[in-house]
Amino acid sequence: MSRGGARTLPSGSPPGGAARVGLRLAHLHLASRRVPAALAAVAACAVGLRIALLHGHWTAYGARQLPLIFETGCAVVIAATTASPFGEPERATGRWLPFLRLGTALVLTAAAAGALAAAGTGAHLAGGTLDVLRDTAGLTGLGLLCAAALGGPLAWAGPAGYLMVALYALYTQWHGPALTTPWIWPARPPHDVGAAICAGLVFAGGVLLIAVRGARDTVAGS
Amino acid sequence: MNVELIEVTRRFGRTRAVAGVTMEAGPGVLGLLGPNGAGKTSLLRMMATVIPPSSGRIRLLGRDPGGYGQRRQIRRGLGYVPQNLGYYPRFTVVEFVEYFALLKEMPPARVHHAVAAAVERVGLGDKARAKLATLSGGMLRRVGIAQAIVNEPELLLLDEPTAGLDPEQRVAFRALLRDLGQAATVVVSTHLVEDVGAACARVALMDRGRIVFRGTPDELAGRAEGTSAAGDAPLERGYSAVLAEVRS
Repeated sequence: MSRGGARTLPSGSPPGGAARVGLRLAHLHLASRRVPAALAAVAACAVGLRIALLHGHWTAYGARQLPLIFETGCAVVIAATTASPFGEPERATGRWLPFLRLGTALVLTAAAAGALAAAGTGAHLAGGTLDVLRDTAGLTGLGLLCAAALGGPLAWAGPAGYLMVALYALYTQWHGPALTTPWIWPARPPHDVGAAICAGLVFAGGVLLIAVRGARDTVAGS
Repeated sequence: MNVELIEVTRRFGRTRAVAGVTMEAGPGVLGLLGPNGAGKTSLLRMMATVIPPSSGRIRLLGRDPGGYGQRRQIRRGLGYVPQNLGYYPRFTVVEFVEYFALLKEMPPARVHHAVAAAVERVGLGDKARAKLATLSGGMLRRVGIAQAIVNEPELLLLDEPTAGLDPEQRVAFRALLRDLGQAATVVVSTHLVEDVGAACARVALMDRGRIVFRGTPDELAGRAEGTSAAGDAPLERGYSAVLAEVRS
């Protein structure tokens, strides 16, 4: 450790304007959250759904459950990216962190919904694109709420638990009495307004909470 | 005063970690000593604006951290190294420090030079391109210190900063602390009384959530006179004497 002045050091960012610095900050934030790996995992979920749709022989019952599994996979991946590797020093900084968290969650959710909807193009995707959008948003919201409450590494618990409930709710449509609450939105038709509102509320709540508070710190000692 | 605490209390459930602490600190290095569980880390976390107090009043850098706008201003002038620093192993040293410089809203034109200066200052200039995953524990501590000082903070909070440093690094770090303390308020929580003796102009000793001694290191050492307090050095004996006195 020295008291000397700075010598020229290699840096990833040359001196530049505010826009370039903003992009650099976003790049570093996304890298620290392993967003490239998350995008690869989302793409893998979409490819998996595509293969299953094209090569599987699904009954009406199974066809409605199938996309839900891949949507849950995407939601778990998105929620896991909320974990901060830095802990408290990162939270004790300026105003940009909430915007970075918000942007990361929105971009990944949009990517997941888009990729899963694209995977169903030209195949028989039960419920269609609207179903995918609603279910992906709702499941992601649950994952984000779980990340805020339990931390990123345990964020899978919410979507995984909800998947079990949703699969059972779909089962009850064939083996009544059917569960019909809009809070179990995957069991409702794609155009059901109540289900869309419930899923939207959960997504908005999750995104807002993650943006403002972030995932619960799990760095030792934090 | 850069730090003003008035009757600050912090509870975690039924546990009172900090119990009515009142203290002030201006520029210089203040050592925060105390046994495990004394409340040092909770006090530092409140000063770092990471957790709010359960009761009492805090003013940092002349501002109230309870309000969003003022908290933001405080954070721009704050450096904080917690006891266990988290890091992203695939970042290089420069990327790690740069990320914090950008988060602390440093003027874009200053970031590059400030990152270089902070990395040099902790003696990691030759490791600037190294991935954090390849660094030793002591080097990671220095990277943590670099992120804390990159914005030239007016208030620097360090929780056990010398843990994991070898003796040579510890000596260099004490010199850095003295240097930083010339312009900023530096609060160092430590178990190591020799750090306090070498680098701190003032010392506060905590026990069971309260500050039970405040003064200079010499005054703390003087508290051992006429007692049979245990310790291998005058400061250790003073530390033991004060704790024995408040617990008797």
